[in-house]
Amino acid sequence: MSQAAQAETGFYTEDMTISVGPQHPSTHGVLRFVVKTDGEVISEAIPDVGYLHRSIEKIGEKVTYHGYVPYTDRADYLAAMFANQAFCMAAEKLAGTEVTRRGEFCRVIACELNRIASHLISVGTFGQDIGAMTPFVHALRERETINNLMEEICGARLTYNYIRIGGVGYDILPETCTRILEFLDHFEPIVEEFNRLLSGNKIFHERLAGVAVISKEDAFSYNLVGPNLRGSGVKWDIRRDMPYSVYPELDFEVPIGMAEIGQLGDSYDRFWVRIREMRESVKILRQCLRMMPKGPAIAKVPRKFRPPAGECYARVEAPRGDMGFYVVSDGSEYPYRVRIRTGSYTAMAIIDKLSKGIMVADLIALIGSLDVDAPEIDR
Amino acid sequence: MGIASYINDIKHTVASTFEGMSITFSHLVRKPMTIQYPDKIPVPIQETLPHRYRGILEVDLDICTGCLACERICPITCITIGIEMDKETKQRQFTAFDIDVCKCMYCGLCSEVCPTGAIRHSQEFEGASYNPAGLVRHFAPQPQNLYKPKKGGETEPKLIAKVEIGGKYLAEFATPDGGVEAEKE
Amino acid sequence: MQAYIDQLMQQGAFQGMPKEVVYAIAMVVVALVVLSAFVAPLAGVTSWLERRVWARMQSRIGPNRVGPQGILQWLADGIKNLLKEDLIPAAADGKLFSLAPYVVFMGFLCTFVVIPFGEHLIVADLNIGILYILAVTSLVVVGILMAGWASNNKWSLLGGMRSAAQIVSYEIPAGLAILCVVFLAGTLSMQGIIKAQGWGPWDWFMFHNPFTFCAFFLYFTAALAEGNRTPFDIPEAESELVAGYVTEYSGMRFLFFFFAEWGNLYVIGAVATTLFMGGWRVPPLPIFESFPVLKGIAQFVVFFLKAYFWVFVAMWIRATLPRVRVDQLMALCWKYMVPLSFVCLLGTVGFMFMDAQMQRVFGAITLGFAIATIINFFRRVAFQIREAKPEMYLKPQI
Repeated sequence: MSQAAQAETGFYTEDMTISVGPQHPSTHGVLRFVVKTDGEVISEAIPDVGYLHRSIEKIGEKVTYHGYVPYTDRADYLAAMFANQAFCMAAEKLAGTEVTRRGEFCRVIACELNRIASHLISVGTFGQDIGAMTPFVHALRERETINNLMEEICGARLTYNYIRIGGVGYDILPETCTRILEFLDHFEPIVEEFNRLLSGNKIFHERLAGVAVISKEDAFSYNLVGPNLRGSGVKWDIRRDMPYSVYPELDFEVPIGMAEIGQLGDSYDRFWVRIREMRESVKILRQCLRMMPKGPAIAKVPRKFRPPAGECYARVEAPRGDMGFYVVSDGSEYPYRVRIRTGSYTAMAIIDKLSKGIMVADLIALIGSLDVDAPEIDR
Repeated sequence: MGIASYINDIKHTVASTFEGMSITFSHLVRKPMTIQYPDKIPVPIQETLPHRYRGILEVDLDICTGCLACERICPITCITIGIEMDKETKQRQFTAFDIDVCKCMYCGLCSEVCPTGAIRHSQEFEGASYNPAGLVRHFAPQPQNLYKPKKGGETEPKLIAKVEIGGKYLAEFATPDGGVEAEKE
Repeated sequence: MQAYIDQLMQQGAFQGMPKEVVYAIAMVVVALVVLSAFVAPLAGVTSWLERRVWARMQSRIGPNRVGPQGILQWLADGIKNLLKEDLIPAAADGKLFSLAPYVVFMGFLCTFVVIPFGEHLIVADLNIGILYILAVTSLVVVGILMAGWASNNKWSLLGGMRSAAQIVSYEIPAGLAILCVVFLAGTLSMQGIIKAQGWGPWDWFMFHNPFTFCAFFLYFTAALAEGNRTPFDIPEAESELVAGYVTEYSGMRFLFFFFAEWGNLYVIGAVATTLFMGGWRVPPLPIFESFPVLKGIAQFVVFFLKAYFWVFVAMWIRATLPRVRVDQLMALCWKYMVPLSFVCLLGTVGFMFMDAQMQRVFGAITLGFAIATIINFFRRVAFQIREAKPEMYLKPQI
């Protein structure tokens, strides 16, 4: 009860302090929120991060450039390719290496497959937080097929170490390209079925329409990126606005939130942007598989990689937004400093603001719709 | 809340529930995708994994030249190699080749830099052990001479097959002059 | 049974005890044995069926190792839970904490007394049958509140509070929907309601008129809410409240709560069958006249299958729908279901004043609508299977 109401009626109540996490079935990873509630209504939700800190940035100062690429996989294990790519782009910019054309296409193929996999987990776990357990398992089933494809391409299912400095580690064989096409043909109707099961459900709409609305101004001021930003109506995508790799040659749309149900920038918009991004990734993959040139997949890069002294920032459009690697080199074969900028870390800041006055169930929906990911937050 | 939106709400709820239930029922009658590992499968999973699969490391010490490239490049220092000069034969020998499998990141860097393909990732993934000591694989149980690659190809019959296997593994990696891989149909 | 006890007493057993006490003890013993021997495997097999059905709807196989097709999984779970450490949190209210699962269990177990499994297979045909069921299932609220409070855990408290609000609110649409049927049958007794129906779908109360058709769905939804099943499983919402009011429970106490939930599913199905689907009514085949035992068995089987069908539907709904939020749950009850159930009640009453010919016409229309819906449903299922192409395995050797 509010202070005024308490004073008026003489009925004194106390706010309840609950700790959501760090062991909780639906904070994505190990996260903790200290939540003060008045019954069901939250008055304050303060995030408490750091449970998954593994000093990845510090490790960057102790290993060589080639040896650091597997560590970048772990910075966000659901979107490992993007971290690989960002770091390799930064190292290549420092040394002035040019990536081969076939290598660029292989990179885009691997990244877009990984984007689909990451978004599948994101929408699946989001559905599970809301209570629908079946679409989660269906999403995981599709992701299994993507994992099998990645296994064929690079030998690993989660931490790929595929994108190396100068190109990619393994070439994509024609059989694998055929299988990727088969998968895409199989996958597009599955997304539609997923939509019929979950996205069209009335209870799902009721839970998400108008919940945790992020306005454009808030999104800018809190520095949100990726689908969180696009869900509020801002058309900003690194692949389109600060293009890298071969994205300028590819034709794809950038989906933004359109307030189909509820307000612009609510949880449903962010969820729907992710579903549409999966469809766009399928389009990109088809184009890449058609346009892939022949040639070497990796450029010549010395084993003792020693870029000249300098600093460099490279950013890619990861599934959770803009992932940036800031690498400072002092001319030796170990980086001087590696700094990782991730989208989930900045998204934590807005949770406290949005959670005033919503219910506990909505807090879970909010965290799921922002698609925060503990390894990205704590690195 | 007008009557029209009230009735609309009810209609939408019933329609979407009906649709959802038809989808779950259709899954009920489809085949499930579970693989009942480890006993109800026709072939062991290890044989179905692709050749590039990065499982637990294995070392074929017969073709290892002792160049220590793998030990140097490993980002997590899980490989420990000991080489000593044998006093009588004046040959360099392996005294130890230990890989700490629980530290290994399965990144594949060591297998890429090996000149002969002696160290490579196998298709093995079942590595559970009852104590941590069991997770350190010792590949040089007794001292063994280093391998000296012969110019003009290998001639000793036992080693030809091993060198071929190592070479096949190394051919999977992309190389700067690897246009061959892409041209191959 | 009374004759048997009399015989024993004449032979000299139970010396020195008054007759009523002996009868009472015998009743209690028989009730316990029969109900536990029937109810425990029933709840267990329901849990196995739920896991298998859920799993197949999620493209995976459920438990299939323990016993043929995994049907003894519940035994394994039960034994495992019995062997667990019996934890009572230090700051929890020990007596209430221990008592809560049993109160919840009582709440559902007592309903089995009036469930009519066959024409003569009912423990006690109370003449307030359905009212007794409604009353006794409210004991569950007391148990859940006790569990929530005594756990000394804020999550449990939240879960308990939500559950109390939910169950108490949904009694009303359930009761009103049941009232429609009671008006039509003219009696509260379970056997009386079944006797007022026939064996074929055209004689069931469900298809009697459009209002009872609506009343059936209202009753089913309200019963799901009372049983804490998705989409109304907020009190034990896994992803929100860790485990709601059962967070602090472990071992057999934990299992008791879920025992009660699965058993309650069966009670929901049984009550739905009795009230709306004709209960144990079987077609009047000549073979049943010659072998009354066969008739009894057939009645039991028919009743069981009908009740289990609704159990299956409840599991199916759990696999499909997401969860509603607490305030939406309340809104759904008070703004949508209560007015609709009043409309159904008034409609049914008004219907009873129509002449028999018109009633039959409306009954036929309702039945036709239901059959059309079922056909449409299967066409939709065929569409889903056609659309989403078959599963793709990239490892062709497996």
